[in-house]
This record gives sequence, C-alpha cells and structure tokens, in this order.
Amino acid sequence: MNTIYYEGSSFLHRLNPLSKFLLSGFLFAFIMLTTDPWAPLAFILFTLVLLLWLGNLPLRRLAKVLWPMLLIAAAFLLFYPLFVRQSLVANTPLLFQLGPLLVFQGGLEYGLTISLRVLALLTISLPFSLTTDSADFIRALVQQWRLPYRLGYGTLAAFRFVPMLQTEIAVIGAAHRVRGVNGAHGLRGAYERLRRYAVPLLATAIRQAERTALAMDGRAFGAFSQRSYYRRMRFSPADWFFTLGVLAGSALILVGLQALGLLGPLAFLQIL
Amino acid sequence: MIDIDALTVKYAGRKQPALRNLSLQVRKGETLLVLGSSGSGKSTLALALNGLIPHSIGTVLSGTVRVEGLDTQQHPVSQLAQKVGIIFQDPDTQFATLKVEDEIVFGLENLGLDPALMEARIEQALNQVGMAHARLRPVYALSGGEKQRVALAALLAMQPEVLVFDEPTANLDSVGTQQVFALLAELKARRQHTLVLIEHKLDELMHLVDRVVVLDAEGRIFTQGEPRQVFEDHGAELKRLGVWMPQVCQLAHALRQRRVTISKFPITLDEAVSAFGPLISTPPVAAEQPAVAPRTTEPATALLLEVRNLSFSYGSTSALHQVSLRVERGEILAIVGPNGAGKSTLAKHLIGLLMPPAGCVYLQGVDLNRVPAKSLARQVAYVFQNPEHQFVTERVVDEIAFGLRAAGWDEARLQARTAELLATFGLARYARANPFTLSHGEKRRLSVAAMLAMGQEVLILDEPTFGQDERNAAALMALLKGLNAQGITIIIITHDMRLVAEYASTVAVMKSGRVEFCGRPEQLFAQNELLAQAHLNLTPLARLATLLSAQHPHLRGYATLDDFLSLAYRAASPQKVEA
Repeated sequence: MNTIYYEGSSFLHRLNPLSKFLLSGFLFAFIMLTTDPWAPLAFILFTLVLLLWLGNLPLRRLAKVLWPMLLIAAAFLLFYPLFVRQSLVANTPLLFQLGPLLVFQGGLEYGLTISLRVLALLTISLPFSLTTDSADFIRALVQQWRLPYRLGYGTLAAFRFVPMLQTEIAVIGAAHRVRGVNGAHGLRGAYERLRRYAVPLLATAIRQAERTALAMDGRAFGAFSQRSYYRRMRFSPADWFFTLGVLAGSALILVGLQALGLLGPLAFLQIL
Repeated sequence: MIDIDALTVKYAGRKQPALRNLSLQVRKGETLLVLGSSGSGKSTLALALNGLIPHSIGTVLSGTVRVEGLDTQQHPVSQLAQKVGIIFQDPDTQFATLKVEDEIVFGLENLGLDPALMEARIEQALNQVGMAHARLRPVYALSGGEKQRVALAALLAMQPEVLVFDEPTANLDSVGTQQVFALLAELKARRQHTLVLIEHKLDELMHLVDRVVVLDAEGRIFTQGEPRQVFEDHGAELKRLGVWMPQVCQLAHALRQRRVTISKFPITLDEAVSAFGPLISTPPVAAEQPAVAPRTTEPATALLLEVRNLSFSYGSTSALHQVSLRVERGEILAIVGPNGAGKSTLAKHLIGLLMPPAGCVYLQGVDLNRVPAKSLARQVAYVFQNPEHQFVTERVVDEIAFGLRAAGWDEARLQARTAELLATFGLARYARANPFTLSHGEKRRLSVAAMLAMGQEVLILDEPTFGQDERNAAALMALLKGLNAQGITIIIITHDMRLVAEYASTVAVMKSGRVEFCGRPEQLFAQNELLAQAHLNLTPLARLATLLSAQHPHLRGYATLDDFLSLAYRAASPQKVEA
C-alpha cells in the first residue's frame, strides 16, 4: 500500500513499531496539555531533530512531507484571526480593519497558537509513519498487544488490495471513456458514475478476496488459535532507552519553557 | 498417494454439480495432466485435493478423496496443507503478506512450527526456485514469473508431497511462462513430488507428463490414460470438447486425415521431428522467394493509421521511444512483446486515452491531436482485456445499443442494428440477461459487439484470447476474421504467438518502448535472434519448422497447420493432397 513510509535502516527504523507508536502518544499528550504557542513550537523542533538525527531522513524527503502540513497550518493562521469570537479578543489592540472585518492582536495570537498546535499534532506522527513498515506494526500489535492474528493478517491482506483496486478503478474509468460514456453532471451524474463503477469493482474485489482467502486457507491459515512467528517482535533495551528518553526530553522542554516564563497555564484538551 | 472415489461436488447457488461421480487415482511420483474446457471442473478438482473443498468452499455431495490415506472430509486443511499445495493462476491474489520472506514463513507460522527450524526451510525453498536473492524484496516489485516462483517456494517450505499447478502461466507473458516451465522441469527432475498440472500450453510440457485425464463439460472423466494414447485415439472428441491439444498432435491428426501414414504418433517436438522429417518431400524447385505465400490476397496500399516518432514517458520512466508504425486498411496487425514493452501505452495513444502530441498519430491523414474524443470513438473501437470493465448497462441488449443511443440514432435503426449484432455474435438468446451473468467467452463476444456497434473501421483488442479455452478462442478469432473480411482493420495486442501465426497479416514486435520489427509473421519466425531478444516464444509448429529446416530449408518461416498441410508428403496416398 502507498503509505509515506521511507525505507531505511536508521535507529528509528530499527525500533519496535510500538515504541514509536507510544512516542506519538506521549507527545500528543504533552501538546494537548499546553495552551501557549511556544510549547508546540518546541515539540515540532524536538520531533524534527529526532527525525533528522535518529531517523537519518534526508532534508528533501522531510520537506516533501512537511509542506502540505505547513499549508494547512498557514490556512489556520490566515483565517483564524478573522473568525475568532470578537468578545474574546476585543480587549487587545486593533491591528487593522478590512471593511467589516476587525483583526485584533489577540486574534492573531490565537491563530498562531492554533496553527502551531495543528502543525505539531501533524508533525509528531511523522517519526512513526515515516519509519515504520505497516506489516511490522501489525505484527507487533498481534504479538505484543494481543490483537487477534486473524484480524491482523486480514488487515495486511487488505493493504495489498488497495493498490489493486486503485488500478482497477483507473482501468474501468478508461474503459468507460473509450465507450464514450459522458455522464450527466451534478448529483445525478455522480450517482450514475458510482453505479457504473460499483458493479465491476465489486465483481473484481469479491473474486480477488475469494482467491486470496483460498490461497491463505490452503496454507493452513487460521488452523490453530496460536501460530508461531519467525520474526519475534519485542522491546529491546534500545526501545526502553528511547521511550524513556523521549519522555524525559518532553518533560525537559516543559520545564525549560516554564523557566523562561513562556509556558502558559497547563490544561488538558483545552483549545483556548 | 491420491485416491478419489466417486466424487460429486457442488457449489452453493449452482444448479449443476461441478464434478460428477469422478474417480481417479494418482500414484506417488506421477505427473498428471488435467485437461478440460473452461467450466469443466478442473479447478474444482484441484481444490478438492487439499481439502479446500469442502472445508473452505463447495459441498461434497458424495464420494471421498483420500490423500495418503487421509480422508479430506475428516481431516482439517492444516493437516492436508502439508501433503498437498496448490499454485493458483493469478500471481497477484495468492499472497498473504507483503515481503518474500514473510510469504515463505507464512504457512510455517500457521502450522506453529518452531521458529528455530524456519531459517533452513526458507533457504532451501528459495534456493529450489532460484529466488534466494529476492528474499527481502517486496512481493509487488516482482515480475509475474518471479511471483509464481515465490508462491511455489512458499508451498515447498511446507514440504508437501503433491504440488498442484492450476493454470500457473495463464496470467504471465512469455518470459514468465518460460520461468514456470523451467521450474516444472526442475521439479520433475528432482523426483520428490507428485505433480498435478492444469495447463493448456501443452507442447512444452508433454515430455514431463506421465498421464492425462480429460474432463468433459459436465465434470465427468471423459477419458484418461497415457498421453500418446489419449491424443492419438481421441483427436476428434477432444476438439469437440474444446480441449487444447499439443499442436504437433493436431498436425499429426490432420496429416492422417490426408492419408499420410505416421507410424509413431508424436506428442513432443522431438518426436515430431523424427516422425515428420522423413515424410517431407524436397520440393522440385529450390524455393528462394518467401516460403509461404502472403496471406493477404490483394496488395494493401491504403494507409489507415500512421504513427510517426511518438515518444512518451510516465514521469521519468520512458515508455515509448520514437515509435513509428504504419497500419494499412484491412490488415490484421498483431503487436507483441514482453510486459512493459510499451504495447498498451501505444494503444492508448490510438484511442485518445493518452493524447498524442501534434504531428505524431494520423488516422486517415487527420492528426489525432485535433480529433475530439467523441468522434474518435466512432472511428476506433477498443476492447479491454477484461470485458467486465467495459459494461455500463444492466442488459445485454442495452449494452450493444448504448453507443448508438449516445450517438443519437433513431429508435428503428437502432433496434435493427442491435438485433443484427446480437445475431452475428451469437448473443440473441441472452438479450435480456445481465452482462455480468454471461460466461467468459460470451462476455468477450458482447464486449466486441458493443464496441463495434457504430460501425467503427478500426478495432483494437487487448489480449482477446486471454483465459479462454480452445473452442472459445477459435470462435472469437473466426468472428474477428469475418469482421476483417468485411473491411474492418484489426489491431491485436497479444502474448499469444499462435494467434500471430494463424491470424495476423502483419506483426510488430515491441521491446523497451521501441518497435524492433514490423513485417509479415513468417518473416519474424525466421529471425531467431530477434525472437530471443524480445523474449518471444515461437509457436510449437514454428519451432518444429525451425528444427526441420536443418533437413528441409524450405520450411523456414512455417508456423501454422495450413503451412504444414500445404507441403507435399512422401507417404501420401496416390490421390493428390487436397488443400
């Protein structure tokens, strides 16, 4: 399946997928605790350093995944000050006025905080998603966190279907175009299109799923409630070291910001 | 080893059983070839051998299947999987994981094998199929032939004694087919496995086969026995059943009909060389001109379609490089070449799915770059590999009328034309059926009928005989031949060299985005080097001609039954051989 996985063998790549998953969880909690713009900024930088240093990620690759995120953050920054509730910010200096729209300094600050927080939430998922093979993640979930293996391998098989179905959709589209199908526009057109694609797509999907199921059954899949594993997934010392290191680093960031007087009040899940 | 006794199998939702009262024994170490038309129950038989029937699919109505004494109905698939492994037709849908190594251990893990024992099994299995270098590669990055090798390795790791191959080359190009056949030969030579083969490219396999079983259309055993005896005694019946036969056997039957005496009926190429070689008379005049008379009766001169220096790339990968091609009116042009050679990309430029740059593709002198897609669709028809992809309505009759309606034909004319097409394509009795309920051969005919409704002059087909049995393939090709006789120019993209030999008037060979050859098939068949470079397999009869041409140089370029029947034979009866 087309994920944003970046193939490599760095320290981050070699970590257990679950410790990277936990890392995202910790950072998520820390970011959700804060209400000022500085903490998200610090966590963004912290994550990027981790990625470049421990993940051995090329800058180009990082830039490629970051720019759409920056775009989303920029959109928040641009529009938030215009639509924030006036009563919240009216006691701060008025920066400028666009017709009926008033932009207060407070509004801009809120916008900055929100956009940084959005950016931070998107960024902290990167160490996991860029360096984790989805098959390994499922394997770890099955072996260590007791996800039922039939479900896990079912998911894995489904991953293989996504590109197949994508190809299928493209071919059906081409086949219909060659037949001169030029569907009606609007809602009716969309419905017609959906119906035309659905039947061949379903026919193929069912056939393929059936074949895969037979091939898997034929190799004794699901025969026993337990199966053995060639690659055993477990937490290594590196994983413990990394997990504790990230926790300590995050705490340090909060303490440091506090010392500098930049940390706002801590409140879990409070947006403003 | 395998003992099937009076087995009757039925699938849910079908009225008729897929196998009826079938009894069959397979000895240890034997290689059994299963033949039958599509729908005759070959795959059902395969699934019954390792207990997938009845444990995963289908119902056993009566009878038993025993594998090494284990009744498949009494024992779970997990136990049977260590006795019988099945390689399926579609290389893409038989994988459970994403990496080669994961795939090899998948079955072992399911059996709960101790991980410490797995390493040795992985190495051995991958070595046996020559894929050790690909151990850490993702499965999707492999070619079709490599995928089948990995699929086999995954089975070998489980150490089954019986290996069942259910049309393992049906989805592969000639490169992949060769890889799989080589593997079969290696397995046979190793003598550790009992092999059950379902396959219809027979000439390359016959030297491996010990016994042939033929199923009839109802899922009964029609006959079984030694290959020579089956093919020699049942020639006419096999043809009637729509069962593929080695081409050298077809030739032998055809010659016998012409009263040529053949002492030992040949089933392999080598046997055919020694059987036919002494029979062929040397022609009185040394033939210097092309051995086979050109098949086009009139000189085709009207240029219909022209491609000039067309290049195209997908992102940074070049797919077409300076391709030039001329298609004359009334031709049957075959475009051949291995997967990824650029055949489909070229075809997409001819139907506006990819817009050719100005000055590159001309249809009747008009630059396609300036032709709107809609009017192009009225001149060029394109039939996709999978006919289902093209169906856009819910009834066969609507399917054919669809294009006409869109083009604004008045109802009376539309009805007449639709009825005519339904009759021509043998679909009249299904007029009200849903296209998806038709058989594979009928779907294919419907897709051709629907595409040609508007009377297009050019028909392009992508792998038209793909996945069809002998009878359906022959019927479709006869149909296309008829259309061609009415003046429709036909372009076929194919791997099937037999189709090229028997039907094409011109063949273009593509390789790595270039057209390496364009000319008459018999000219191509004489160019061994080019064929090897483009990974094209000669048809069995063309190979026979090549082998025989050492003795009989005038056979060079021969490739079809008709070519061979046009020869003079020494032992022919006193009456003149009829053409």
